[in-house]
Amino acid sequence: MSRTFSETDIHLALDNELPADEKAAFDAWVDANPDMKALQQRYAQDRERLRSALEGIALEPIPGRLTSVLTGDAKPRTNRWAWSRYVAAAAVLLAVGGLGGYFVGQRAEFAPQSSALKPIAENAVAAHLIYANEKRHVVEVGADQAEHLNAWLSNRVGVKIVAPDLKSGGYDLVGGRLLPFNGKTAAQFMYQDPTGNRLSLYVTKDDSRQDSGYRFMTERGADTLYWLDGGYGCALTGNLPEKALTQLADLTYDQLVKSAGEPH
Amino acid sequence: MDDRRTAILAEIPRLRRYARALLRGRESSDDLVQDTLERALGKMENWQTGDSPRRWLFTIMHHLFIDQTRRRNRRGEDVMLSLDDDEALGQQALQQETAEAGEVLDALSALSPDRRAAIVLVGVEGFSYAEAAGMLGVPAGTVMSRVARGREEMRRLLDDNARRKTLKVVEK
Repeated sequence: MSRTFSETDIHLALDNELPADEKAAFDAWVDANPDMKALQQRYAQDRERLRSALEGIALEPIPGRLTSVLTGDAKPRTNRWAWSRYVAAAAVLLAVGGLGGYFVGQRAEFAPQSSALKPIAENAVAAHLIYANEKRHVVEVGADQAEHLNAWLSNRVGVKIVAPDLKSGGYDLVGGRLLPFNGKTAAQFMYQDPTGNRLSLYVTKDDSRQDSGYRFMTERGADTLYWLDGGYGCALTGNLPEKALTQLADLTYDQLVKSAGEPH
Repeated sequence: MDDRRTAILAEIPRLRRYARALLRGRESSDDLVQDTLERALGKMENWQTGDSPRRWLFTIMHHLFIDQTRRRNRRGEDVMLSLDDDEALGQQALQQETAEAGEVLDALSALSPDRRAAIVLVGVEGFSYAEAAGMLGVPAGTVMSRVARGREEMRRLLDDNARRKTLKVVEK
């Protein structure tokens, strides 16, 4: 005679914690109870959603600052424990909004949006649409004069900029140009893949020195991933799915941050 | 690099994933991973070589996470400051997420840290209740109930959200 099962056993079964000799009786119980069967499927489905939402993170390239802890050439951080502030901020958001208020529906409105951030994306898209379609004058200074290009744009934008190398992502640098941005300046670097698809990187100086995380936007047929970090405001624009743009943005981010550490 | 450091290096992708599940923001999560690695290197003698360092590293990370959560919660002024701090808000916000992933991760973030940790350790990282219990410093029965309660809460949150979306569509 087998024991009586309950909802708890659904979790045990899902987590492989049910004793092997109870498995058959449990399966029979689930089959005989449509409600329990539906619940079991639902929890399995939710778990799958959670796994797929998180799996990409383990596949991202490991940031250099983490590997250098182990290779022994890590630089000391000034900002130790800074991450723990975010725990507190998240806790307050929850307390203020309540579970429902914090919760998705209003995600876009609720996600904090720096006033500096959106105009970068909008200007980047506008500039991309103009210059990515340009046949002959796509850039002002070509990649063959990369050193001059970097020095000139760093100087005019007011922050150290080295055109990131996106070869490993399949894009070669074509060159760059100087653009206006909110009464200041921005640099645009144009890249191209072997089939002629163009990708542009728009870089401005961000005096707020915020770290916004990546945001994604599709506007007027162009896909843009944009962010603020380390004194840079950036937008990477092309016709690419978010995932591919994210990989290219990671390459960009790593190289910009690295170049920022060098003397201007 | 010696074998032990190489073995630790191999765990970084999983540590980053767990940190991100706990904290959400990319930079703040990587800070937590970095603290974990630094702490681990300082306590190498605590790791029984021959074993995979995975459980040991997850345990260190969890302790750092809980210590800091408590410390910050005791200092109310910090919490309020953080609310006005754009950087802090930006950090914990959404990064590299599709709408589908964002919805699930929002639900996860809405759980208490205890439930969140239990669900991720067992459901995503594949640890047994006993292993997770060792990391979290609680009995296996507690892990079981946190996983079960956490799943129920997540299901409710996801359902509420789906309902809200349906309502929006109807209103249009």
